[in-house]
Amino acid sequence: MTGFARRLAGKLLAGLVMVWVVVTFTFFLVHALPGKPGDVQYESYIMQGFSPEEARAKVAAVYGFTSHDPLLGQYLGYLGKLLRGDLGESTYYSGVPVSHLISSALPWTVLPVLSGLVVSFLIGVVAGVVAAVKRSSRWGGLLSVSGSLVAGVPSFVLALLLLLVFHTEWHLLPDAGTSDITLEPGWSPAYVGSVVQHAVLPVVSYALLSYGGWLLAMKSSVVTVLGDDFILASELRGLAPVTRARYIGRNAILPLFTVLALSFGVMFAGSFFIEQTFDYPGLGELLLKSIGVRDYPVMAGAFLLITVAIIAANIVADLCYTLIDPRVRR
Amino acid sequence: MSRHRTLVAGLAAAVALTALTACSSSTKKTNDGGSGAKKDGGVYTSIDANNQITAGAPMNPFNAAPNSFLGYNQMRLGFDKFNPSDPNDLFPGLAASWTASDAGLTVQLQPNAKWSDGTPVTVADIKTSLAIAYTQGTAGPVAGAGSTIVLGTNFEVSDIKDLGGGKIEIDQVPGAKNLYFQRLVLSATIVNDKVYSGLLPADIWTLIGAVQGSDQAAAKTASDKLTALGKTIAAFAPAKDVSAGPFVLTRVGPGEALLDRNQYFFAVDKIAPKQVILRHYTGNQQIWGFMTNGELDSSPYTSMPTNILDQILKAGYTRTDAPSYVSASIAFNEKQAPYDKTPVRQALAHIIDRDAVTKVGEPVGGIPAPYTTGLIGSQTDAFLSDDQKAALNAYKPDAAKAASLLQGAGFTKDGSGQWHLPDGSPWTITLQTVNGFSDWIAASTIVANELTAFGIKTTPAITADFATYQKEMAAGKYAVGWWLTALGPQTDKAYNRIYGTADGFSIVNGKAVHSDTSAVNWQHTPATYTVNGQTIDPGQLTADLSVTPVADQKPIIAQLAAATNQELPMIQIWNYTKVGFYTEKHFTNFPKSGADALLLNQPGVWMMQGFVQAK
Repeated sequence: MTGFARRLAGKLLAGLVMVWVVVTFTFFLVHALPGKPGDVQYESYIMQGFSPEEARAKVAAVYGFTSHDPLLGQYLGYLGKLLRGDLGESTYYSGVPVSHLISSALPWTVLPVLSGLVVSFLIGVVAGVVAAVKRSSRWGGLLSVSGSLVAGVPSFVLALLLLLVFHTEWHLLPDAGTSDITLEPGWSPAYVGSVVQHAVLPVVSYALLSYGGWLLAMKSSVVTVLGDDFILASELRGLAPVTRARYIGRNAILPLFTVLALSFGVMFAGSFFIEQTFDYPGLGELLLKSIGVRDYPVMAGAFLLITVAIIAANIVADLCYTLIDPRVRR
Repeated sequence: MSRHRTLVAGLAAAVALTALTACSSSTKKTNDGGSGAKKDGGVYTSIDANNQITAGAPMNPFNAAPNSFLGYNQMRLGFDKFNPSDPNDLFPGLAASWTASDAGLTVQLQPNAKWSDGTPVTVADIKTSLAIAYTQGTAGPVAGAGSTIVLGTNFEVSDIKDLGGGKIEIDQVPGAKNLYFQRLVLSATIVNDKVYSGLLPADIWTLIGAVQGSDQAAAKTASDKLTALGKTIAAFAPAKDVSAGPFVLTRVGPGEALLDRNQYFFAVDKIAPKQVILRHYTGNQQIWGFMTNGELDSSPYTSMPTNILDQILKAGYTRTDAPSYVSASIAFNEKQAPYDKTPVRQALAHIIDRDAVTKVGEPVGGIPAPYTTGLIGSQTDAFLSDDQKAALNAYKPDAAKAASLLQGAGFTKDGSGQWHLPDGSPWTITLQTVNGFSDWIAASTIVANELTAFGIKTTPAITADFATYQKEMAAGKYAVGWWLTALGPQTDKAYNRIYGTADGFSIVNGKAVHSDTSAVNWQHTPATYTVNGQTIDPGQLTADLSVTPVADQKPIIAQLAAATNQELPMIQIWNYTKVGFYTEKHFTNFPKSGADALLLNQPGVWMMQGFVQAK
């Protein structure tokens, strides 16, 4: 076995153990929440005019997927299903497979968050380099201030501002939804265009929210690298500015790389505020709704996805780090 | 590839994307339905208040959270008019007419009733649908219900006969006396036999017969089988929508559902919109936003402050009002002192200024409750005589009266104005409300201010979500908290809310049984009250209401209203009004205020009755 394969196997094993620990913790945590599946629906049936007896009978029927086994038995059953790749059945949606619900919501989280992440990373890193190199100039200062300002704005404020300007005032972009529902889903230019158009505001929101963080982190990292001896040496040796910039960029971006990799994992959690503001229902909303109605299998499934994504991103970051930074391999 | 080329390629991709975006649909969702659509009435956009839409949920009305929309692609034989004086009053749906008899009901189907695949609606569809009702807890004594069935709540069918010519006889189980059999049967969801019958065993009616039989062991076995079937049916995900309604579901996206007009609908000439878009929403704010941007043709009830109301009216919407048969109340746990004392609850009712609280809590959709009787104001007016109403205590704000009641109960007031319990300790109140109920939360602040100003230090507290609220309320953790009451329009249901399980009453063979130790009893009121010198049993009176025709209910309601008004198991603060909105930008002839029966139904039902026409 090569060193890389050994490292990979070790990390995968550790990752599996971590997934098991988190799965166990979240399973018991979600079941410890007060209230049970059907409580909210019972009240909803009462409000719709059902008598308590009717409402109870209806809840018993449509919430038949709520397990009444002892919790330990449920846990072992859940683990057994997980090993077979089965996330279970939703109680709120009366037996719809959890994997089906998650896969229906997943694209509408991954598309805007991933796009926002990539855009903000690219712009933030470039702006961070400029802000560091030109830190004594007015432009450098302005860039730094822009990063600090945007990083400090709460997500829902930013999203509402964008909505106000680009939809309510200027009528440039749609306010809600993921596409024009009258268009047949597919790869037609009209449908893809509609998806892009509807994604613009959520993507810009996600991008702006993380832009400041990348900019400030990159600026700080570049400033640190600029003070390193090897940069001074490269200047004294008369290396071309482009070559020096490459040295600076490669060294400064290393700490950001780990954060970027982890961000790919965290993105599966979505952002409820942005999803709600733009009525762009993704995993964030599915998870929050499942908590509200105590849909344990969906909650556990969503938490599992987030956990696995973060752990996988962590492993990938670790492994890639050894590739991009030779010092780590020594 | 050189860096220069990479840059050019990137720019080209960006330009292409921009062009693609420009070619796509308009930025602002309009209801024009594209060129030429206006002739067909265009697209009608609304929100289904009972269905937020979830991509991935099945197109199956029996699922707990389905992508199936009542009045649009989900049909019934008739649609409830919510008429408090005649609970069996319905709009025609798939049934053109019906006649009630001692045996049950004879229904005449609409002559041209067809499914969206062009096949006719038949007796087999009705039979399958009513059989499914037995698996879904809406018909018969379903296993797992955990309680005795009260006559008047579930329907029991013994036979369904095809009389020919679209006429069907639906027989009630011999011996069953259900006052609402007609309404319950006509309100059952009707689905396509070809789509759903495969989920039912061939002996389904034998199972139903066994459930209704006297052999308890056989009934239990049959009930278990029906319950298991119920799970299968609820989880069923049809590949395609087959609708007998005015619309058929074409697709569901994460943010919207699209329904196309059903060309085979029996009254398709009345249906103006070519398509319906139902928008997804997560809260009131989104609905407000849709309306201020003029994006909805009509909206369901949405709680809102007055500034939002003004914005919506400014955007061109017309407001409609209909009775809501729900009241926001402050309820007590009488197991916790001092709320076990009637004068204490009465004193609190005199301190709380319901007008002032409503102005803040529910300024648009609330009417200060004129009485606390367990019913909304208009029902109290309808069921009680002028003399009976005059005898009710209106609990007008009256600090002196409140002080007198409290002093009579042994309470004292110190020099700083703080009231003390009879044991001498300071009296403080935690007024519990729940996250998401913005009207209750706002109102709690005013109630707390009023009580604190009177000398009872009151703090509002918010529970994280409704599931927790119910759990903790049932566990007796809250002494004083908000509660929805007067759930009508049926008076027995309104009183069942107060003198039902939450109050320790259950009905066994028509007799009320009271248990102070029941797990769901959180109000802990006594089993009987003494009113005007007479002992009354509110649980039994409530049970009697469910088997008493509306025309004969007045004497029972008079006793329950007087008892509730005197004993105040809760204080009714405001009665809700179902405030809706419509705009005539794209369609006209909407039901107006006063058309209560229509306004309490979905727009699909309006359309079936000839409302909502293209401009």
